[in-house]
Amino acid sequence: MNDFSSGTQAIVLVLFTTLVTVTLMMCVMAGPDRDDLTNFYTGYLSLTPLKNGLAIAGDYISAATVLSTTGIIALAGYDGYVLAVSTALSLVLLMFLLAEPLRNAGKFTMGDVLARNMPGRAVRIAACVVTLSATVPFLVVQLSGAGSLLTFILDIPHAAGARTACIVIVGTLMIIYAAIGGMRGTALIQMIKIVILLGTSVVIAALVLNRFDWSPGDILKAAQHGSGAGPAFLQQGLQLGTSTVGLLDFVGLQITVVLGVACLPHITMRLYSAQDVPAVRRSMSWAVGTVTTFCLLVIIMGTGAAALVGSRNITAADPHGRTSVLMLSQVLGGTPDSAGATILYSAVAGMVFITLLSSVAGMTLAAASSLAHDLFAHAMRRGQAEPRTEMTVAAWTSVVVGTVSIALATMVQNWDVGVLTTLAICIGASAVAPALTYSLFWRGFTRTGLLATLYGGAACALLLMIFSKAVSGTPSAVFPDADFDLFPMQSTGLVSIPFGYLAGWLGSRLDHRRRAADSREHRRLYEESEARLLAAAE
Amino acid sequence: MTYADENRYPPSAPTGWPLPHPEPYGTPSRHETYGQSPWPEAYGHDAPGYESYGRQAPWHAPDAQETHRHDTGLAALRSAYRLLRRVSTLTALGSFVVYVVLSCYAPGLMGSRITGELSLGMALGVLQLVVTFAAVFWYGRSAQRSVDPLARAVRERSVPTGRNAGAAR
Repeated sequence: MNDFSSGTQAIVLVLFTTLVTVTLMMCVMAGPDRDDLTNFYTGYLSLTPLKNGLAIAGDYISAATVLSTTGIIALAGYDGYVLAVSTALSLVLLMFLLAEPLRNAGKFTMGDVLARNMPGRAVRIAACVVTLSATVPFLVVQLSGAGSLLTFILDIPHAAGARTACIVIVGTLMIIYAAIGGMRGTALIQMIKIVILLGTSVVIAALVLNRFDWSPGDILKAAQHGSGAGPAFLQQGLQLGTSTVGLLDFVGLQITVVLGVACLPHITMRLYSAQDVPAVRRSMSWAVGTVTTFCLLVIIMGTGAAALVGSRNITAADPHGRTSVLMLSQVLGGTPDSAGATILYSAVAGMVFITLLSSVAGMTLAAASSLAHDLFAHAMRRGQAEPRTEMTVAAWTSVVVGTVSIALATMVQNWDVGVLTTLAICIGASAVAPALTYSLFWRGFTRTGLLATLYGGAACALLLMIFSKAVSGTPSAVFPDADFDLFPMQSTGLVSIPFGYLAGWLGSRLDHRRRAADSREHRRLYEESEARLLAAAE
Repeated sequence: MTYADENRYPPSAPTGWPLPHPEPYGTPSRHETYGQSPWPEAYGHDAPGYESYGRQAPWHAPDAQETHRHDTGLAALRSAYRLLRRVSTLTALGSFVVYVVLSCYAPGLMGSRITGELSLGMALGVLQLVVTFAAVFWYGRSAQRSVDPLARAVRERSVPTGRNAGAAR
């Protein structure tokens, strides 16, 4: 597919090396002191709202968002537009609903928020398990995607060895960023990434619009033609069908995205590093503004890809359209080997590369922090761990999480594992979102309720996902030949989100009856900490 | 309301529990969980519950007046936050759910062309993204006006009694 000469590949390689060198240097320079936990987990609260907002946006816009959303827009039109809107809206909801109390309640990790009224090892362990089950699938899918993307960009033959090498290189870099940089180092990388991402996207979107003389009507006409779907391109239903179940599946997917994406631990973790409530509000304003702008650009880029590349070429390269941005940049650049084409393609390749690197680094850091802070320092050492020890453990858990993810990604690189993204988002929406909302806003929430929400929601999402149509039974499933699809949808949110909320409520009710004294104690702790929760008063 | 019961947590609970908060059953709309649930009229009944702790702990007695003032401040802050949260979340989530449901179940309406190739559904989608900027700006302004002064008051009142006064965290 990639008809560039070796000259372009050389330029791309040089660009990648430069990006890696620069970001590594910044990471080392910004890295935390060896024995300061606050510095490692939150970067001294020293980021200005603008910078923190850009870092949140950077963490939020993962490589999966950039590449898959563009692909879905290019292939399914309207369904992709709705997905772009729901992606932006998720962060808006996080800002309106959770950001400020989360900032006041949290310290370093999600476990800190959940365990503030319910001290105990069980809560910490559950928080850690859910954090891992939401971040590791996301990591694996992006790492395994990194393999095929980098071989595509560099035009290496699609041999297994080359892809494994790419996965290992990206994985190693991500471990280094997370272990050395901590929150501050990864924040810097996220900022660089978001600036490069926005800049490149603006240029591509402008070029697309320019190609059609800035007339939206012409682009849409060309996109309908290029997609081969005709007017159906601008109607709901290309992605999941228009049957009754297909429609429900679509609604469920959008609701899951709205509730789930912004609750993922690597994003909420950035909120704890804001200085105070007005700062978190301003940070979120910047983040929402950035993400919304980007979603508008994604809509233009995706439509442009449908119009200029055409769905036949896109699906030939990748059935999910994840390479559509790259192919669009090739078409926009004009004749191969001209200076413009080379520059444009290199820029987009660099954008994809830094997006991949930074998003996996952010997720590794979130998973490693939870392991070190929740599991090691609080569950194993009961909060008695030395800060220096915890820092060392955090660095080593980054290595462990990274290595495990690399191994998993290498094992699944030949499968179509896009479903893991859906799984992570479903766990976010059905376990993390109910736990956080109950814990922050319901004084009757008890330990049993919390554990029921976390384990129940996550298990429900996982089980339904395994038996869903996304895993078996359809040609685009992970196991197209097997047939154990008992749950007729692609995403589980429609069932698992109510289940998560219900589990938390029933668990708390059970505690009210069986252990009245305990639940009274939880309520008292909630009320005592309410001033801190709402007003940041100590 | 049944609230007084709940604070007492009668050990013979079964009779005390049938009424309250059935909302979480209807779950996907999670805003409801904060909105009406679980204690809609909590504030008024809250204060006595809190003070009963004060009585259990006699060394708090001299602060009773202060505690009460603190409580009313906190209650005002809580209700201000709740109103803001409810309005903003309901509007954002509600409009989006309506949009998605309309897209699915009224394709004819959403597919109607308004100008040229631009359909109503597409226009609404892009409009939501554009309106987001205004919504965020509005949220920041209203929070600054309604919540921040109350939060500052609560913080200032808690300073004399608090142990490490003035710390942001």
